[in-house]
Parts: sequence; C-alpha cells; structure tokens
Amino acid sequence: MANKWKYIICLTFLLLTIFFLPTKAYAHGVDIEYTSSTTIEIVAAYDTGEPMSGAQVVVYAPDDPSTPWLTGTCDDEGRFTFSPDTSKPGTWAVQVRLAGHGDIVHIPVGQDAVASGGSGGYTILQIVLMSVCVIWGIAGTALYFLRRRA
Amino acid sequence: MGRRVIILAIMAVLIGTVTLIGCGGDGEATGTLQFHANGEDFVREGFVSKDGWSIDFDHVYVHLEDITAYQTDPPYDPHVTAIIDSDVEVGLPGAYTVDLAEGGEDADPILVGEVQNVAVGHYNAVSWQMEQASSGPAASYSLVIIGTAEKDGESIDFTISIEEEYRYCCGEYVGDERKGIVQDGDTADVELTFHFDHIFGDFDVPLDDHINVGATGFDPFAELAEDGKVNEDLASLQGKLSAEDYQTLVRTLATLGHVGEGHCYCDKQPQS
Repeated sequence: MANKWKYIICLTFLLLTIFFLPTKAYAHGVDIEYTSSTTIEIVAAYDTGEPMSGAQVVVYAPDDPSTPWLTGTCDDEGRFTFSPDTSKPGTWAVQVRLAGHGDIVHIPVGQDAVASGGSGGYTILQIVLMSVCVIWGIAGTALYFLRRRA
Repeated sequence: MGRRVIILAIMAVLIGTVTLIGCGGDGEATGTLQFHANGEDFVREGFVSKDGWSIDFDHVYVHLEDITAYQTDPPYDPHVTAIIDSDVEVGLPGAYTVDLAEGGEDADPILVGEVQNVAVGHYNAVSWQMEQASSGPAASYSLVIIGTAEKDGESIDFTISIEEEYRYCCGEYVGDERKGIVQDGDTADVELTFHFDHIFGDFDVPLDDHINVGATGFDPFAELAEDGKVNEDLASLQGKLSAEDYQTLVRTLATLGHVGEGHCYCDKQPQS
C-alpha cells in the first residue's frame, strides 16, 4: 500500500514538474538581447492635398487603447515618424487633428503574433483548478489500475 | 466499494473540468454602451456663417433609427465602403427624435439611449439612419433646423426641413479621447456627431478653407425670406435655390454625419 502511495506521489510530482517548471536549461550563460525596431512614418493632408502642418498626433498602442502611448506634432509637410514597441503586437492607432479636422489610421504591427496568440479567457484560478483536476484524474486512474493489478 | 468511490471521483473531476471550461468563455465579461448625439458648439452656442450671418438655433431635430455600434477588426474604414464587417454589434432598439439644441450652451451631448450587458471590447464603428419621423416635432422629416439669423440689422426666423433620408456609416470616434471601449462592469459611449458648419460655413476660417468652399452659407436662404421668415423643405428649395446652391446643399447634407471629427460614409445619396 505504501508503495502505491509513493507511486502516486511521484507521478503527481512528475506531472506538476511538467506543467509548471520552466523547460529552459542554462549551461554557459550567454544572454543576448536584441531590439527589433520598425519606424512608421505618416503623412497627414487635407482632401485638397494641403499638408496638416503642426497637427496634433496621438499614438495608441494595442495593449492600452485608452491611454496615449505617444503624442507629438506633424512637421511642416504633415509628416510624423515614430517607432512602435514591437513587443506590443496588434493594431496601433494614430490620430491626427488640426483645427476641428481629424482622422485616425490603424496600423498593424506584428499581426502574425497576434493571430497566433489568442487568449483562452481563463482566470489563473480556473487554470490552477483545471490542472489540479486533470492531475487528480490521472492519479485516480492510476490508482484504479494499480488496485486491479493488486 | 473503493472502486466505486474512485470512479465517482473521476467523474466528478471530469464534470468539474468541463464546467470550468464552459464558464471560461469570452462572453462572460459585459458592460454598458451609451449612444450620444452631438450637434457640437455650433448648435448649442450658435455661430457665424461663412457669409456673416449670426445664427442661433432654437431647435435642431434629427430623427434617428437603426443605431448600431460595431467591433471591427481590421477597423472599419469609412473612406472605402459602407459595408461594416463586424465581430460584435450592438443595436439600440427604437426610433428617436433628438433636439441637438436642447440644454443651452453648456449642455452635454444628448443621451439617446444605452444598452446594458454588451460584450466588452472596442466599439470602433457606428452607423445610423436619419429617417423621416412619423410623428413629433420632426414629423415627415429626417431633419428640421429652426433658428434665427441676423446680419447688418436684419433678422430672419428660419425653418429648414429635410425630408430626404440618409444612412451614415462611420469608423472610430476622433476627438480628445477615445470612445467606445467597454470594459467589464463599466460604461463607455459612442457618439453620433453632426457638423452644421458643413451647411452654413464658418466665418472663423478662411473663405478658401474646404469647409467654406463646400458650404451653402446662409445668403441663399436669406434671399427666400418673406416678412423676415423662411420656411422651406428640400422639395421647395429645389425650385427656389439656384441649381448650384441646391446641389451644394444636397452634397453637404450627405456629409453632416460624423463621429467627433471622423468622417462617415453616406451610402444613400439624396435625389437631386
């Protein structure tokens, strides 16, 4: 009986290890960091072609669409340049306004990552409970077969 | 006995897991979405037309139906099409005649209505119909503009009624803040904005500004005054305005609908 419980505990520990411990192994630690920079230039003009010189620009990142990520002004030719944070993939929004006229443009940045990174919508508590349930189910199944063999 | 307990335990675990998965869907989080109508300061405070008429509005009635907000990805572009391809849409049931001049100079935009328990997310497109009212102060019209225009000591009381109907399809609100972002348990709003400077022009910007170039102004209406009053609808204006002024008016009515400063697609042009 004690062996069975050892077996179950070992199995549970093994599963927990698989589920929760990082899989990365470090030998001779080399840490290389890089920055991927993409510069985006917008050119704002009225329908007539007249550039929106000095127009107010507000940039919104996809992870916090309510809060301006960057603000600035267009130059004399209506140009504005910025480098979005590529660690925030998704649709960036750039709003340009001048004297009661304005528009907003949406620019996809790293959209592939977004498309493949969908959210399951589970809370941490739900994930933990589901993991425990699955582990307990496997352990119960193992216990069942061990009991039959005995 | 022990085997039964184990089987029951396994079944309980499976049922619990399935239940948790079922409860974990995206549709759980909800909020409230409000729909506002805004004639902006031009309507609330009055303004001077491009040809120098000081205009004050008593009432500006718009009759609104089929008001709908959308979550679109990629974001809807009103410069391209009237077809809004949405993931989520929320309709405001009912028909509403709204007085955009209601409440005085400092009034907030008019709350048309709200829908509760809507899915969270960014409602970045909105559409509405401006249709003929069946009853009320705008009966038989989609838009009724009532006010007084003054210039060089002359005062004209005017009522301009529009019977033509329009559908405005708009993208994201453009203004001081981003609108339409519904978070769990919170309230957000979208705005149906109407730019009346497109009809009358704006004295405060140069005459060659595109707003004034494309605007009718008030002079053409003033020329129709009898005993200091103008009371016309689109049908009568077609016969009384010059062809050029009438066509200009027709064009500007199609550009009346906005979302803040953001432009809209008008997919139902009036008959000329």
